[in-house]
Amino acid sequence: MRLHRFTFPAMASTHELVLGAVDESHARRAADVAIADVARIEAKYSRYRDTSIVSAINRAAGGAPVAIDAETAALMRYADACHAASRGRFDITSGVLRRAWDFKRAPPRVPAASEVDALRALIDWASVAWDERTIRLPRAGMEIDLGGIGKEYAADRVAIIAIDAGIAHGYVNLAGDVRAWGGRPDGAPWRVGIRHPRVDDASIGGVEIADGAVATSGDYERFIVVDGVRYCHILDATTGWPVTHWQSMSVAAPLCVVAGSGATVGMLLGADAPAWLDSQGAEWIGVDAEGNLRGSP
Amino acid sequence: MAAAAALPGVVPHAAAQSIPDEGSFSIRYLDYRDWQPGADRMRVRSPSFFVMKPFGGSWVAEGSLVYDGMSGASPRFYNTLSGSSGEGVKDYRTAGDAKLTRYFDRYAIGVGLAGSTERDYLSKAASLDLRWWTEDRNTTLAFSFAGTSDRINSNNEVAVNEKKHTLDYLFGITQAINANAIVQSNLTYSRGHGYYDDPYKLLDDRPDHRRIVAWLTRWNQAFPAQDAALRVAFRVLHDSFGTTSYMTEAQWVQGLPQGFTVTPGLRYYTQSAADFYKDPPLPNGFVPGEPYATDTRLAAFGAFTPSIRIAKTFADGWSADLRVDFYRQKSEWRLGGDGSPDILPFSARWIQGGVSKSF
Repeated sequence: MRLHRFTFPAMASTHELVLGAVDESHARRAADVAIADVARIEAKYSRYRDTSIVSAINRAAGGAPVAIDAETAALMRYADACHAASRGRFDITSGVLRRAWDFKRAPPRVPAASEVDALRALIDWASVAWDERTIRLPRAGMEIDLGGIGKEYAADRVAIIAIDAGIAHGYVNLAGDVRAWGGRPDGAPWRVGIRHPRVDDASIGGVEIADGAVATSGDYERFIVVDGVRYCHILDATTGWPVTHWQSMSVAAPLCVVAGSGATVGMLLGADAPAWLDSQGAEWIGVDAEGNLRGSP
Repeated sequence: MAAAAALPGVVPHAAAQSIPDEGSFSIRYLDYRDWQPGADRMRVRSPSFFVMKPFGGSWVAEGSLVYDGMSGASPRFYNTLSGSSGEGVKDYRTAGDAKLTRYFDRYAIGVGLAGSTERDYLSKAASLDLRWWTEDRNTTLAFSFAGTSDRINSNNEVAVNEKKHTLDYLFGITQAINANAIVQSNLTYSRGHGYYDDPYKLLDDRPDHRRIVAWLTRWNQAFPAQDAALRVAFRVLHDSFGTTSYMTEAQWVQGLPQGFTVTPGLRYYTQSAADFYKDPPLPNGFVPGEPYATDTRLAAFGAFTPSIRIAKTFADGWSADLRVDFYRQKSEWRLGGDGSPDILPFSARWIQGGVSKSF
């Protein structure tokens, strides 16, 4: 049995899929189906695609309810659980904040408090009316953004598809979110390193997983620095401002959606994160603002 | 000399004694794969671009850019990295070089810069080369000197900001024997110090200096009546790590109708093991404080590489070629026997194709 590696573009990034198979065509067939599903999920949930269900829901904000299928309803249910677990700081309607926080703008600029406050009126997951069949954003201008869940969900889907296709050992790395299964063919676990939040191409350590996921949320993916202060893209929905307590937070969990939301919620909970993560029984590694390593016991 | 020069590839540009009339550019693509029994495959896909242009009557500028996209079992400690970077997993190397040569009546001076960058390795080099030839242009002497500075930061943080500096010297003679034969002999000396360990191996401790001496001789013999040429080469190399190697290679360049050329070739390589190479398993033979490596590349083995190349010239200065090399290495193939035991055979293949145009 050999490992076959596939890299593919999606979601404005390049990703890696490694499958253990005796012959390449078996791995290739499984990879094709898995990669196609990532493309399907991107097309369905990307706010950058006019034809996505997310765009349809956003266009109908303040208007009529939009019909959703079981898959979308499941994602809404999951977003709801993350909202509750993070005491409101994780909110998939907080994407509107990017109208104030432009991380690509040169020169970079910190928005005025009034701009941020105006947008906070549109961040209100609790007011969204949804059920298993429809969803409605009550006020015009509201948006949902599955940026914090979609990629992790896609990673879990890849694992399911590959396992169904008879691939007993493999992993997928979607832009830093890893889901692995079966361990390595030689019996050893997969070794997943964790990127150093400040030093390029270095790691701060790693985890060994045979079956499970590791996801990392960090302040280094998108950020601006103004007057020596870093403002990252992880915005606290209750304040509208970036979090500052952690440089990066990594969580290992059986599913990538759980690891991913755990990492994001960990970033959002700041100093309260260790207590919350430990109470969930999660395995985590975080790098705080001073660069110190903290982790689960 | 003229007849020998007319054979494709016989006189590399580096040994040319006059400015080329035309510039040329070429695009190449290389697909490399290697494997060992039961072990993972490494794959490199590498597009490259090369351009050369004479200008100002006595200057030549040339440059190239290579992009290596690597996938497969790279020898990293971690299988993959989890991070918040939207960049995904990068495993590539970009390399480029540029050179400027000034031609005079009986000599030429060239200055070059090169650099390459990949995830854990950054390399910068500068070079100077001088060529001088006799009045009848049958003899050329070449001298070149290059300095390279490398910085290594391994992904597993075993190597942090390690450095390596190397100086390379070359002295060579190219001599036209007659209208159909030309021979070239080069002596090279490389002296480096710095970080040589492989940070991704569990136990790997190599000396912090390395000297390599090599002597390469090439003979090209044209057979105009057959529209063919024979190229043979022989090289002996000694490395302060303890390795001594011999390489011999032969290629037959056969012209065919319609502008085609086919070149089958065979290369044989044999090396002795480095002084501090120890046969597996780890940590067999390890003595703390002394150099140690179990890297197969430092073992004793022999290797064969058969190859075949097909090229065609078209109108208007266009040409295209396709080449396949197949490499297989085994400890039993070491010259004189006594190859390192317990080394798995290693195989690799290169497929490369390119198109070029003069302008």
